[in-house]
Amino acid sequence: MNPLAVYVHIPFCPSKCGYCDFNSYAMQGEIVERTARAIIREIRESPWAGRPAKTIFFGGGTPTFIPAPLLVEVLNAVTDTHPPLPNAEITTEANPGTVDASKLETLRAGGFNRVSLGAQSFDDGDLVRLGRVHRAGEIERAVRAAHEASFDNLNLDLMFGLPDQSRAAWRANLARAISLEPEHLSLYCLTIEPNTPFYKLHLRGELPLPDDEQQVAFYEDCLERAAAAGYEAYEISNFAQPGRECRHNLCYWRAEEYAGYGPGAVGAVRDPALGVRVRTTNLKHPERYACAIEAGGPAAYESEPLDSATLQTERVMLGLRLAEGIEVDGLDEGALSRLARRGWIERDTGRVRLTRAGRLFCNDAVVELI
Amino acid sequence: MDQAHIRNFCIIAHIDHGKSTLADRLIERCGAVRGAAREQMLDTMDIERERGITIKMTAVRLSYKARDGGVYELNLIDTPGHVDFTYEVSRSLAACEGALLVVDASQGVEAQTIANASLAMTQNLEIVPVINKIDLPHADVARAREEIEHAVAIDASGAVLCSAKTGEGIEEILEAIVHRMPPPSGRPDAPLRALIFDSHFDSYQGAVAYVRVVDGSVRARQKIRMMATGSQFEVDSVGVFRPSLEVGAALETGQVGFLTAAMKTIGDAAVGDTVTDAERPATLPLHGYRRAKPMVYCGMYPSDTDHYEDLRDAIEKLKLNDAALHFDPETSVALGFGFRCGFLGLLHMDITRERLEREFELNLILTAPSVDYVVHRTDGSTLHVANPSLMPPPTEIASIEEPTVSASIMVPTEYVGAAMTLCQERRGIYRRSEYPSPLRVILHYTLPLAEILLDFFDKLKSSTRGYASFDYELSDNIQTDLVKVDILLNGEAVDALSFVVHRQFAYGRGKAMVEQLRKVVPRQQYEVRIQAAIGAKIISAESVKPYRKNVTAKCYGGDVTRKRKLLEKQKEGKKRMKQIGSVELPQEAFLSVLKVGD
Repeated sequence: MNPLAVYVHIPFCPSKCGYCDFNSYAMQGEIVERTARAIIREIRESPWAGRPAKTIFFGGGTPTFIPAPLLVEVLNAVTDTHPPLPNAEITTEANPGTVDASKLETLRAGGFNRVSLGAQSFDDGDLVRLGRVHRAGEIERAVRAAHEASFDNLNLDLMFGLPDQSRAAWRANLARAISLEPEHLSLYCLTIEPNTPFYKLHLRGELPLPDDEQQVAFYEDCLERAAAAGYEAYEISNFAQPGRECRHNLCYWRAEEYAGYGPGAVGAVRDPALGVRVRTTNLKHPERYACAIEAGGPAAYESEPLDSATLQTERVMLGLRLAEGIEVDGLDEGALSRLARRGWIERDTGRVRLTRAGRLFCNDAVVELI
Repeated sequence: MDQAHIRNFCIIAHIDHGKSTLADRLIERCGAVRGAAREQMLDTMDIERERGITIKMTAVRLSYKARDGGVYELNLIDTPGHVDFTYEVSRSLAACEGALLVVDASQGVEAQTIANASLAMTQNLEIVPVINKIDLPHADVARAREEIEHAVAIDASGAVLCSAKTGEGIEEILEAIVHRMPPPSGRPDAPLRALIFDSHFDSYQGAVAYVRVVDGSVRARQKIRMMATGSQFEVDSVGVFRPSLEVGAALETGQVGFLTAAMKTIGDAAVGDTVTDAERPATLPLHGYRRAKPMVYCGMYPSDTDHYEDLRDAIEKLKLNDAALHFDPETSVALGFGFRCGFLGLLHMDITRERLEREFELNLILTAPSVDYVVHRTDGSTLHVANPSLMPPPTEIASIEEPTVSASIMVPTEYVGAAMTLCQERRGIYRRSEYPSPLRVILHYTLPLAEILLDFFDKLKSSTRGYASFDYELSDNIQTDLVKVDILLNGEAVDALSFVVHRQFAYGRGKAMVEQLRKVVPRQQYEVRIQAAIGAKIISAESVKPYRKNVTAKCYGGDVTRKRKLLEKQKEGKKRMKQIGSVELPQEAFLSVLKVGD
């Protein structure tokens, strides 16, 4: 059977950050374990059971918010249901404030082989403003602990374009992240999403964000400093040492199949009965999700069959984010030459990819091509 | 039915004074529509219902057994309720002998009440005042009565009190129609003369003429001639409105109904024309025919230039049913092929646009509305310019005339100052005032038509807290000092954005237009410079900064659908944009001039 990527969503956080629009809840008590049990049941009753896992990714929320043994139990459910391919990448996201050496050891021993740390900034002022529960010092401690627990594949998430952030402050952040020598860096420009506290502040004009121009300059810093330190910009916001690209995320960007388990998790798997790929979204609220699973019902509340035109749109939208680009076949020649004239794309050997200038206008390029 | 038992009447009222509700009650009472009464039955088009106004009038025949025991045929002819359609109102009035003048007991007489009442008086109609909405707590019957006597100058002692909402007074109104309005007095033996007071187009039967038979009679197979246009037809069918069309044997002297005669266009059944017998024609037509004349013009372009043919077909289809709509092909450097369309007013323009977009699924770009200027050139020739971009260069212009309207504005006395200030700002020439009641003033002004096209009525309403009412009719042209203002995007003049304005206002309007455009022009990948210029002289400039990035920071498995939909939406939005040189303009940019306040 064809392997697929497996995503597990742990929807809990110690607290909710001001910019975050992910499906996460600052809940405690009985619901946490109950949800984990429901996730285990969902996985074990999966219609895709038996399909091997190419990659496994635990995201959130904060997966490490729940006890490490429980997280390992969930992982066991995944590996029982989806036997991992040899050397499969098995990642968990972690908050530097919610991990310590023993927790990380349990996770490593339980099968995880990659950790993605939500560092965000090395400036405590930024961290407070963002609503993060950890402090800069904890990032370095978490990295050391991960190494001690013999994790040899680490990612650090950092954000730029933060309120009042100067270019010098960003460069300092970047330098500190690089000095920790993670195998992978995710460098995101802060995006103001609707329905977040930051959005409200932004509407009221109370969020002094760097303008376009500055954001572009911050991004230039990412490209330059990361390249100088040996990281390849293999995706718009993702940088990796050679061979350390996040294989799980590559599956998304290459528009491959993925199963999603847990509250609000999204999957896109070919449904053999329908003969098309179907994107399903699970019930978002842990309580409702758990109830649905406990009642033996499906956890999905939404399903969207992806016809070939939609899939092609997604291939363009996702694939253009990658340095490897997408196949030229099936793309509109007129649109391609318009983009080439603007210096946004380059082509060779049947593929098209964004240039450095084009990366900044990725959405415009996609709109031209779809 | 002998003429003595026929009454043809209409209802005239200011907007919102309850005309449609009253019509519904009369129809209900006479049993013309069975079952559950449909609210406001006479307004049939969706757009009319949404806007709460009557655009297309219709008629209905009612059968009423009066208290005297006689059975009467009452023809209620509906009239449009907006200033854009004054001529159509006058034709429907001409088809009647009497009119119910409806006045809201809480609002009193308003500008349109007076305007329509004076129209009715010029047609020698017997006017029966009806004071409506007497059920409202703040109804003031005495004041309404006084205003009718003062402002409309008719005896209001016999005004019928009613509440169309509760049904009170409906019987009295019907009795008043029968006993106070005269029956028709045509000559049954004379050659046929029937007034076309409205029409609509039916794809199977062709134009359906709504007629009032004045003399003689008309039946199927009769050969008829339209006296103004000279075209001849053979009648296919005649009938009456109940209110749906019901075919009958004949329409006799004094009756109201419809006729079909395989007329291919609505122009064959021109409103105001006289139908006569082709073999035994009348010598004189009924008076009052006037060719529907557009007041306002604008360019209509498909936003996708490939849809030019579709737009032409669609306008032609609308034209079938709208004699007042004029159109001629034109081209614009910026917008490609399109049409210069003429309308009775802005409402007519707006409704036409909405119908084209809704019924024909077209995406349109409209250029700023303009009036028809008469340009006298230095070489002695004269030119009509309804498209600002075609205005000759100043050196070739000896003088320009612009159309004006005579406007009547009724306001409570405390807002006279505000209304006069506004009129002055809009280059109004004060004519006179009337004082219909101690609390109200009617101001008469001559105003340039171009000045009321913009936001005049909105401004008037807001500066008088909604109390002012406004009516106008086309008047003479006057000579004015006008200039053309060009709008430049990144240095290139965009013909579709040019407008003509009085020299005195050129600077202010140019600046306001540039500012408005700055708000609606989306940021692009390049800086967009927006300038207003008279000839080579730049009078105002702004710029829209470019955006430096448009990229999604994060996109993973859970976001794909949402992000895809966002981009698909952007793609749709882009389709609605018009590429002008290097600049992309949204549709609303072309109507910016309408949003320009002073």
